[in-house]
Amino acid sequence: MDVPGQINITPSEEEIEELLELTPALVQKRRSQVRIIFDRFIRNRAALVGAAYLILLFFFCFLGPTISGHNQPDVIHPADASQAPILKYPFGTDDVGRDQFARAMAGGQVSLLVGLTSMLAAIIFGIGIGSLAGYYGGIVDNLLMRLTDVVLAVPLYLLLFVLSATFSDGSPRSVIFLIAIFGWTYAARLVRGEYLALKEREYVLAARTIGARNFRIMFRHMLPNAAGPIIVNATLLVGANIILESVLSYFGFGLHPPTSSWGNMISDGQALYELAPWLVFAPGLLIFVTVLSFNLVGDGLRDALDPYMTER
Amino acid sequence: MGRYIIRRSLQAIPLLLLLSIFMFLLIHALPGGPEQVIFNPHLDAAGRAALRARFGLDQPLPVQYLVWLRNCLVGDFGYSFATNQAVSAVIAQRFPATLQLFGISLLVALVLAIFLGVISAIRQNSPLDYTVTTISYFGLAMPAFLLGLFLQDIFAVQLHWLPVSGTTSLGYTFDPFNAFLDHLLHLVLPVTALSVLFVAGWSRYMRSSMIETTKQDYMRTARAKGVSPTSRLVRHALRNAVIPLITVVAIDFGAIAGGATITEGIFAWPGMGTLFLDSLQSRDFPVLLAILLLSGFFVVLFNLIADVLYGVMDPRIRYS
Repeated sequence: MDVPGQINITPSEEEIEELLELTPALVQKRRSQVRIIFDRFIRNRAALVGAAYLILLFFFCFLGPTISGHNQPDVIHPADASQAPILKYPFGTDDVGRDQFARAMAGGQVSLLVGLTSMLAAIIFGIGIGSLAGYYGGIVDNLLMRLTDVVLAVPLYLLLFVLSATFSDGSPRSVIFLIAIFGWTYAARLVRGEYLALKEREYVLAARTIGARNFRIMFRHMLPNAAGPIIVNATLLVGANIILESVLSYFGFGLHPPTSSWGNMISDGQALYELAPWLVFAPGLLIFVTVLSFNLVGDGLRDALDPYMTER
Repeated sequence: MGRYIIRRSLQAIPLLLLLSIFMFLLIHALPGGPEQVIFNPHLDAAGRAALRARFGLDQPLPVQYLVWLRNCLVGDFGYSFATNQAVSAVIAQRFPATLQLFGISLLVALVLAIFLGVISAIRQNSPLDYTVTTISYFGLAMPAFLLGLFLQDIFAVQLHWLPVSGTTSLGYTFDPFNAFLDHLLHLVLPVTALSVLFVAGWSRYMRSSMIETTKQDYMRTARAKGVSPTSRLVRHALRNAVIPLITVVAIDFGAIAGGATITEGIFAWPGMGTLFLDSLQSRDFPVLLAILLLSGFFVVLFNLIADVLYGVMDPRIRYS
């Protein structure tokens, strides 16, 4: 716009680059938010190891059967029953001669799938309830939080045992459903807290002023800003869900045979623990290291996200 | 202070009512409803009608709920399918053992968590800190039943240092002192298996809470005043640092209950946990639902106690 008396001194592209070259020490390459967080995450060695293990685990479980040829978890080899780990059967065999290596991979697929899917369902549900409670406040908040308190009041394992004893048919779908139904409470509380704080920000007021609908404000504007703690909680929730599923399966209330999961394998192998300890060690170690990795990654994310948030 | 307690108690009552409605609906949501569970499938129509009238199942649902609620408040939880004893008697019989396991584990976990969290915090980034943090990570990743199995195998079966299961060994009936020692030995493994998970989580929380507290201005003032390090630690830092821990412990109370059930199952501890697992197998619903209701009640009660404790320790909460 031509204002009389104003001198237009905006530098051109080439001039900007020349100016930057003069002061190299002050130049900071512009990084996106995601890149900043990623760089911070990489600096945390433990989290990096955890993330690396998880990537390897995914390859192991989902590509392993095809690559290594151990793709028959349910086929019995009576001649080779109760073998200790050897080259042909890296995790040994159980008392009916099933290849434990193949079972570990198949079980891993199921355990990981159940853990991730139940986490997604729980998080989506938790975000839904938490955002409504935090954004609208007042009576909606009161009611929803009371509901959350009731669900939280009964000890989780007890309720899950009873519900899966009566309703579950042992398929992955019912187990995912059961775990997700009770996993949303913590996420809902978290999201509600975030939204209560974010509600007072100026951009919310600005969006409302120009007439944005409530849902649009909640999910297009506030959710990306609340995403940090939600992502951390989601990662830790996967680990918790894997443990939960394995406990359920161990007591016979989770996945029923022939679906194998790591928890199943432990309860099957427990009876023969004296003679064949590898039957328990393999799935047990897998569960332990997997959950540990999820926890490390979750904590690494928390450290990567938090300082960034307070830096702004 | 009294008003705060009354206010929190009143807030807990609607929660308990909602909980009872939730449990009641659970009974009726079971496939087939309570009829399916109670009635002999070979009964004819007239017999079913008679039984239905006797159990009050022909009444409208809200009436059934009120009757059930009144019974629960009086302590009448019905009769067990498996043993035909009154449910309240069965539970009362098993309650002391669980109370023992639960209470001792809670105490041990709290003391250990506070201790480890504090020494981690005051010796931050030292080898000790790293060791404690690493062990915490391990404790958090280990499923409770797996830890119990391994502990049982290593210490009881392989090394014979501790008994495998149960509360007592044979042969101590006439010797109270040795019986007491023996009982303590029986407690070691289950308590360890149950508390490891919570020591891991709470010590990390205590550590970060302690670090935050020591950074506060009043700590610097205390040091400038010449307060001794011990007094600074205990009277000033610790008292303020444990306050957030109360919230975490209250949240985990339900988890301890679930963990206690699993631990009791593994170590054959004759408490409510094994009662629960056995009733699950035999589909003994009156017992199951009574246990669920009681656990929910205790969780709410414990949360109330935690809130009151919070108010005692942090005056800002009382007057908000």
